[in-house]
Amino acid sequence: MSNFKKVAVTGGPPRQDVLAPLRMTQIVGSKPVLPAEILSTILDYVTVSDLIHFAQVSRRMKEMVYDDSRWVLRLRLMGCWNETEARKRAEATRRQRGSCHGLPREQQAERTGIGVNGDNNNPAFGSRKPRNDNQTIFDAGWEQIDVAVDSHQRSLAGSTEGFSAVQRSPNATTNPLSTYKRQDPLCRLDIFSQVQSLRGQARQEYGKIHGSLNPCYVDAIMCRDHTTAMVFRIYRDPNHQARMLANLARFAESDLAQGWQERQEKVQNLSDTFETAVAREFEQALETADVDGKQRRYAEVLVALNGGQKGVQIFTSNSPIVARKDELGDPLDCLRLGPTGSFSSQESQRFFTRLAEGFNEQIALIDRIFPASTKAAVTFLERVGKEVFADYLSTLLDETHRTGLEPYLEAVSGTYHQSLYMAKALRPSKDTGDDFYESVDRIIARAFEPHIDLYLSEEYSFFKRKSEAEVAEWERQLSEQDASMQSLYMSNVNRQADKRDFLTSFKKVVMMPVNVLPTFPLSSPFGGKSATAKALVNGENLQTASSQMSTRPATPSMINGTNLGTSRSATPMPEPPTTELSAKAAIMSSRLEGIRSLFSIEVALNLVHTAKAGIERAAVFYRAQSQFGEDARKQCQLIFVLLLQILGNRHIKAGFDQAVDHLAKYNPKEIQNHGHTEVRPLVTFLELVNVGDLIQQMLDVFYEQEMVASRLTDRNDFLDPAVKEKKKFEQMLDERVAAGLNKGIEVLMAEVEFVCATTQKAEDFNPDGAGATSADVMDIGPSETARKVVDIVSSHTRMLVGSTEKNLLDVFNQEVGLRTFTALCKHLKRQRISVAGSIKLISDMNHYFTYIQTLKNQNLLEYFIALRELAQIYLVDPSDAKELATIIADGDRFHGIFRAEEVYEFAERRADWYQIRAKVERAMYGIGCVVM
Amino acid sequence: MSTQIKLQSSDNVEIAVDRDVAERSILIKNMMEDLGDGIMAEAIPIPNVNEPVLRKVIEWCVQHRSDPPSSADEDTDSRKKTTDIDEWDQKFMQVDQEMLFEIILAANYLDIKPLLDVGCKTVANMIKGKSPEEIRKTFNIQNDFTPEEEDQIRRENEWAEDR
Repeated sequence: MSNFKKVAVTGGPPRQDVLAPLRMTQIVGSKPVLPAEILSTILDYVTVSDLIHFAQVSRRMKEMVYDDSRWVLRLRLMGCWNETEARKRAEATRRQRGSCHGLPREQQAERTGIGVNGDNNNPAFGSRKPRNDNQTIFDAGWEQIDVAVDSHQRSLAGSTEGFSAVQRSPNATTNPLSTYKRQDPLCRLDIFSQVQSLRGQARQEYGKIHGSLNPCYVDAIMCRDHTTAMVFRIYRDPNHQARMLANLARFAESDLAQGWQERQEKVQNLSDTFETAVAREFEQALETADVDGKQRRYAEVLVALNGGQKGVQIFTSNSPIVARKDELGDPLDCLRLGPTGSFSSQESQRFFTRLAEGFNEQIALIDRIFPASTKAAVTFLERVGKEVFADYLSTLLDETHRTGLEPYLEAVSGTYHQSLYMAKALRPSKDTGDDFYESVDRIIARAFEPHIDLYLSEEYSFFKRKSEAEVAEWERQLSEQDASMQSLYMSNVNRQADKRDFLTSFKKVVMMPVNVLPTFPLSSPFGGKSATAKALVNGENLQTASSQMSTRPATPSMINGTNLGTSRSATPMPEPPTTELSAKAAIMSSRLEGIRSLFSIEVALNLVHTAKAGIERAAVFYRAQSQFGEDARKQCQLIFVLLLQILGNRHIKAGFDQAVDHLAKYNPKEIQNHGHTEVRPLVTFLELVNVGDLIQQMLDVFYEQEMVASRLTDRNDFLDPAVKEKKKFEQMLDERVAAGLNKGIEVLMAEVEFVCATTQKAEDFNPDGAGATSADVMDIGPSETARKVVDIVSSHTRMLVGSTEKNLLDVFNQEVGLRTFTALCKHLKRQRISVAGSIKLISDMNHYFTYIQTLKNQNLLEYFIALRELAQIYLVDPSDAKELATIIADGDRFHGIFRAEEVYEFAERRADWYQIRAKVERAMYGIGCVVM
Repeated sequence: MSTQIKLQSSDNVEIAVDRDVAERSILIKNMMEDLGDGIMAEAIPIPNVNEPVLRKVIEWCVQHRSDPPSSADEDTDSRKKTTDIDEWDQKFMQVDQEMLFEIILAANYLDIKPLLDVGCKTVANMIKGKSPEEIRKTFNIQNDFTPEEEDQIRRENEWAEDR
């Protein structure tokens, strides 16, 4: 064939000639003689006895038959050829022999073992048929090494079959019988353990097995009736029978000749019949409770026969927890026995406990009955897992899913948690180590697998639906009331302290596990609190508590009419709120009453709690390190993201937008009542900022506790959707706050200007002009207007302290200060100020200055210092016009904040300006000339 | 599929066969692949096989033309795959011994593994239960053992005598 190819590839001759070399070939000699490789193939299909006959045909045939690989293959098929052992032995032999023999001799000896040895010491052979040739090779080596050894002794040793080489194969010494055929029947049972992996001797080793097993094998195939089979006649003990049958099955593996299928089948049938019989005995024994006697004995027989899986199966099917699994508990009890429409975890708990107990009992039995090799515990476990555990679970979950979404979610997570605990309660059998728990985990995972996807998606949609409903409900209520109906605000609440207080309790609650399983004996350190935690989670209590507190008065009149302090004390409290947090939340929300019409901290809390419940439930799957971990984690993140979106975009953003809207509409001139020192919409807004900040901190705590602490998300992973969404949320909040503050400043300034314009009396700064009051009556404090302005500004800036970011606050303060400054300048330019009135003005300016000082903003302070300096120009006596001019021209005096022209403009507002103008100008420009 | 190619036996007889039948022989199949379709115009010489044997082989190939290609036969370790000879093959192999050997040789040369297997099995059946002397006769093998050697082998393998 390769010839053809060559011709084709070289492609030298034209195509017609491609086949030319073939045509020219002449085959000489036509008598068909099968070549060696075909003979070898033929021998593969021949029975062992025929093979041996074939060996006797001629030397060449013998060589072919004796070929070691042929026998190694058979040994390998029976699983008693160990390649490493063979290599080691070959190595050892070579080393030993290599020292005295040449390598060629060894090879030759190995190839045609018998020939060499036959020539060497033929006489010694007679008595030791099966295993002599290689040993004699060794023996020959021995002879050369131990030259000193008495030859007589050696020959004696040889003739008494105890010759020295046998130390290499101790089994041979223990069993000196030359033919295994004649050996003790009991020895045949362990025949496989006597086989060695010896290169060059595979045929002899195979011979051992063949000799001892073939008679039985042939008999097993020939016998018509199972009872008359030789196996059962020779061996009386069922254990021995089983072992022999196992040996036969193994031996059948090496049967390569045609028809092996039928032969194997027959042996199989024989052992099946036997197995059935023993299994029946075993089954009966199981009923007698004779654990260490009959049960154990028959189990051993089954193990000896074929590993004992049948016995394990029988045991498993008959074990009470499989056969009578209904007694462990009805899955539907979980739904029936609890309050309607809810899932009662006690029932499932009871089931799991009973299952674990029953299981442990059975495992103890298994340990006594079955040997370790059967892995009975694992088989049993898998069966229980599949038939009892998974069955129970799917019935339960399917049913709860039909009942309702929330019980379903609770049931999935709850039962998973419970089964993890159950897994810990299971006692492994003595012979299975980590294997056991691994399979327990696997079984639990498998049982939950079909439910997990549905569960996770339901969890998500459940949260989505619930939170959207919550927000929508709140919005609906809001629209029923008049949104513009603003309410009280409490100036006397110490916001920061309250917030801290609230957050602490919030943190406490967040750290509490949601789905604490109350019934597990070893379960949780939170046992006592779990009920409340659960209640909280469901948000029901919270809601009832807060509604009891009547934080949502039905009528606007009530809002307007009640002062907060009284409202709180007057609120009827039929039941004290069940938890610290709900109480705090109630108090908080009543304090923040004023802005509850924009967005509600309660709603936020409820949402957070719903999210928490969902995440905790799903996180059970993540914590268990099971295969669902990743899915569960993603789902938790999704829920968190959703929480942020709903809370952020739908709730808070809308609230802020509305507040900003209100601010924009504010017009001080339209408001009749200016009795208060605050701008109502701005106050509302600032309160809103506080609440927003509170919610954000709440989410932050939530994030830390739920997401980061339980490793559901990585804080440093900026690509993580949860982290991204949180950033977005915070950004949104900041943006809203900034936008609102911007509007707020304008509104505030409008108010300031309005106050300035409306309350500043002309005689404040110009008492002389009015002429009514005399100087001694005049008090030296700041004017009414100044006080009001400072009150307005300060009350608003104070509200932001602690609720907004420091930078933002600084910017806000600076802006407020600057705008106030401009407003004041403008205001000043509208006044006429006499020298006497300037005292008042200076004290006004000092008042502003002191206020600005509290803001601790150096830049801003400069402006007000300048303003204070500016007030001095009105104090200058008209006679000192020159001095005045110096002051006006002195830019340093005002730190560059006022230019000379501006100061000049202010100077124009002096009541006596027209009298001194000429002098001042002269002095100014005169000096100016000098300077120039 | 029904393209025909011609095979030329050692005694120069040309036999036309369907291509798929001829390709039961891995040798021919490979040759076709290597040489391309152009070769089909000429008769492919099969120099080792004479006409009657070639016809016999083709007969087998026709019968087995739609057999699935011999599955990964490289499972030398477990020769357990060997199945029994089916009825048609048994009849097919009822030929004189010379022909049987020729078929085996041809199958070997043409690389038709299933046919070779059938042949070998048939030969194996012929050996079954035969004494060494009978085997020698069957295969025309000269006994080159000394009586001692012969005796020794017999004793050495006493274990194999199950009767």
